[in-house]
Amino acid sequence: MRKKARVIIIFVIIGLVAATSAMLKVRSGVRCDHDGTRIQPIYEVTFAFQDATNKQFCSVNCALLDLRNEKNRPKYVTVVDEVSGTKIDANLAFFVKSEVLTIPHVKNNIHVFAKKEDAIRHAKQFNGELIQNPFR
Amino acid sequence: MILNVFSISEIFVGVLSSALMIWAGIYSLILYRRQGKATGLEEKGRIEDRSYLVFLIAVVVLIVRLLNWPFFYATLQSFIRDIDGAMCIFGVTQVKPLFTKFQEILKPVVFFLIGAWLLIHKLDLATETSPLMRRKLLFLSLLSVVVIADSAGDTVLIMSIKPGFLVSCCTTVTDILTRPTRTTPESLLGPGYTRILEISYVISNLILLVILGFVRWGKKWHSITPWTGISLLLVFLFALVNGFLFILAQIEVLAPKIMGLPYHHCLYCLWQYVPDSIVTYLLFILGTFAVGWGFTTAAIGGKGEAVLILPHYVRGIYSFAFFCLLGSLVMVIIHLLMG
Repeated sequence: MRKKARVIIIFVIIGLVAATSAMLKVRSGVRCDHDGTRIQPIYEVTFAFQDATNKQFCSVNCALLDLRNEKNRPKYVTVVDEVSGTKIDANLAFFVKSEVLTIPHVKNNIHVFAKKEDAIRHAKQFNGELIQNPFR
Repeated sequence: MILNVFSISEIFVGVLSSALMIWAGIYSLILYRRQGKATGLEEKGRIEDRSYLVFLIAVVVLIVRLLNWPFFYATLQSFIRDIDGAMCIFGVTQVKPLFTKFQEILKPVVFFLIGAWLLIHKLDLATETSPLMRRKLLFLSLLSVVVIADSAGDTVLIMSIKPGFLVSCCTTVTDILTRPTRTTPESLLGPGYTRILEISYVISNLILLVILGFVRWGKKWHSITPWTGISLLLVFLFALVNGFLFILAQIEVLAPKIMGLPYHHCLYCLWQYVPDSIVTYLLFILGTFAVGWGFTTAAIGGKGEAVLILPHYVRGIYSFAFFCLLGSLVMVIIHLLMG
């Protein structure tokens, strides 16, 4: 009887630990909806969907990886100008692929600029090239 | 080399384990050969007395090596901030990928063999005549080779991981559409493979639990016959298949659901973001290995006086396996229901 009670208590503890963990989020701060890493605001990419939900990503690379799996296309995509830090529609932004890695763990080398001259300057400085909007 | 309390402990334990196991391995082999040649009871008794020291040291070192498996990953976790681009343990493993992969594969093998030896040793201690002495000595001398490889490997690996090395982290490997854990099941099971994997995982675990329950609480067997041994081997093989299914289901289906990141398939991130998943994995590993330990104990422990207590002892091991696997399954189901 004592042994049975001990086993039951152990299982109750295991269940409580799992349930508590499932309810709490260990991750703090704003996190990438693809791989859970912390988002640096200047590299943030946001997907806004028709149903008023949105998803945030740490980099263009993570956003593209997620887009490949996502069945619903986002209504619009917001990116951040690396020079001023302001959020802009991806359709109005200029994208540059260069040698500079912004988010090393995903090897993100796609940079976002609001002004074309900033994009061209970056491309010349860091051996890059202007590319089309990758979210189209 | 990255210096912190984890790396220093890992190196210290690695060096000490290697040195002690070299001695224990050689001495146990010498004692094994002497015992085989010994004729009188007095001589056998003297050899037995000498074996106590080697067993004492072996038990301490082997328990430390058992605990070293999770400590190894804790050490890699402590290196994350010093490796550029590393966001989880995966990034750290990319500094020395082949060497780290070798150590990661060796560790479960070592864990299993150590557990098997410790259970044989415990069984032998429960008897009065120590009928398993020679087998233990031989097993220990063979086991020492893999333990030395593991200990020395840990020491060299930890010393060779240096900061300032730029790595890519898990997303560029675990989340690509061409990953083998996705393409192989998808080609075999079709586009709905995730659902099939999820269901198979649950069913496979339930079948294994039923089998273990039957072995433990079913019709009592009073001796280990060759047929019992074959049955236990088949159960162990099924447990290994179940283990493979567990890993595949975790990577493709369960880890993304439990983390709340539907397209992220990294198990190292799962341990980081959902820490109690470490307990889930620990219970699963212990449960699966215990099924194997039951078989090895039955295969090696059937000699002399040990034969009388062997069935009850093996049933106890299967009882442990049953509760560990059940605990792991319960934790996963709770996470899936509440996530």
